[in-house]
Amino acid sequence: MVVDLWFVFRVLVFPGFTFIFFFTMFCDWMERKIEARMQNRVGPAFTGPAGILQPFADIIKLLSKEDIIPSGAKRNVFRLAPILAFSFVVFAFSFLPIDGSAVIPNSSFAGDLIFVMALITIANFFLFLSGWASSNPYGDIGATRVLTQFLGYDIPLTLLALAPAFIAGSLTISVIAANQYLPFAILAPWAFVLFIVTLQAELEKDPFDIPHAESEVIGGLETEFGGGKLAFLRLTRDVQIVFGAALVVELFLGGPYGPVFFGLPELWYFLWFVLKILAVVLITEYVTCLFARLRIDQVLSGNWKVLLPLSVLSLALTVAVATWIYPLVM
Amino acid sequence: MSKLATWARLKSPWVLHFNSGACNGCDIEVIALLTPRYDVERFGIKLEGSPRHADVLLTTGSVTKQCAERLKRIYEQMPEPKFVVAIGACACSGGVFKGNYNVLDGVDKVIPVNVYIPGCPPKPEAIIDGVVKLLNSVKEAKPNGK
Repeated sequence: MVVDLWFVFRVLVFPGFTFIFFFTMFCDWMERKIEARMQNRVGPAFTGPAGILQPFADIIKLLSKEDIIPSGAKRNVFRLAPILAFSFVVFAFSFLPIDGSAVIPNSSFAGDLIFVMALITIANFFLFLSGWASSNPYGDIGATRVLTQFLGYDIPLTLLALAPAFIAGSLTISVIAANQYLPFAILAPWAFVLFIVTLQAELEKDPFDIPHAESEVIGGLETEFGGGKLAFLRLTRDVQIVFGAALVVELFLGGPYGPVFFGLPELWYFLWFVLKILAVVLITEYVTCLFARLRIDQVLSGNWKVLLPLSVLSLALTVAVATWIYPLVM
Repeated sequence: MSKLATWARLKSPWVLHFNSGACNGCDIEVIALLTPRYDVERFGIKLEGSPRHADVLLTTGSVTKQCAERLKRIYEQMPEPKFVVAIGACACSGGVFKGNYNVLDGVDKVIPVNVYIPGCPPKPEAIIDGVVKLLNSVKEAKPNGK
């Protein structure tokens, strides 16, 4: 029974759902602050100390608003897709080792890297469905853009994730994270940089935020959503951003592992994990602020003509270097 | 629970901007709110593109007859609770176009208005002041519509 309670605590409170939710809210606040500072603004300032409660206010307000289902929409899909997208991303999150072991204890298995990336793909597909079911021209355009963009970045993303997997000699996330005495970002910097670029597309951030380009397609796939369903769509995107950062940390920055000075190693692992995620979120937000939006055709041809060959090259380079050069040095 | 909802409502009013036939003077002032100098994101105010996301409708212009239907439809698309701010002399009463054959002389001829901000165009400070007055009234009063 004690074991069961511990399991429930881990899944629901820490490092499970509650922690992920609050950490996502914190990252959202940090992103808005960074973006505002980069644009010479202040950003949220009066909602709690330095505006830190702003994301909570947004979510609570959206949840307390009227729930509208447009008459032309596919009712069930329209209602379920945002919640399913959100739960799939959170489910994918629970396979990452946050404080040295995964959220669900002993859930890691051989090849869970592929499984987790498949879960994220499914979450993206539910985002597409939610836009498609809203029967609004802008929603349709946003939804088709999600899929079109997805065709471009999914293969490079998987290929790039294989580079750390090859160096570690395993497709298990916890093994890849534990094998990094030297972070793979140093051993394979080419894959690291390309992975960050491709991740921007996966997270639908600038320069790849075409599916919800405000000046072109209103809110993209979110156009018809209001109230609680919009809250879930926004949450999905925010959790996806944190998840992407967590994936980078696990694959390239040594996961939660770092120096332990005193006391429980779990606490230190957790601290390192959070700090590393914040660093990656900082990088992605920096890129977002620096670059303007591309057109959908530019993204697609760029992904197929530049990113895909580059990711194949990077995998080849990783294999060559890890097989012949690193054994000589280390 | 309702206290929490009111707090959230006050702290995160997302606005939608609708031009019902204005000369663009007021619209420039509305957009100026989002610039570094005034930066209303400090108060959690965000400009949204879709009426489904918005809480406050910022309306400018003297409502031409062609626009009236669209204005009403956009108002109806917004989820409750919703508020309307009429920005500029035209939106308040028709302004210099008052009595013209093709205008309806003000937003309140079509949809209920919570706050009137006169001026041609009103300064961004005046618009912020109007929105603050709206938020203060939200604390006590019930939202319109129901």
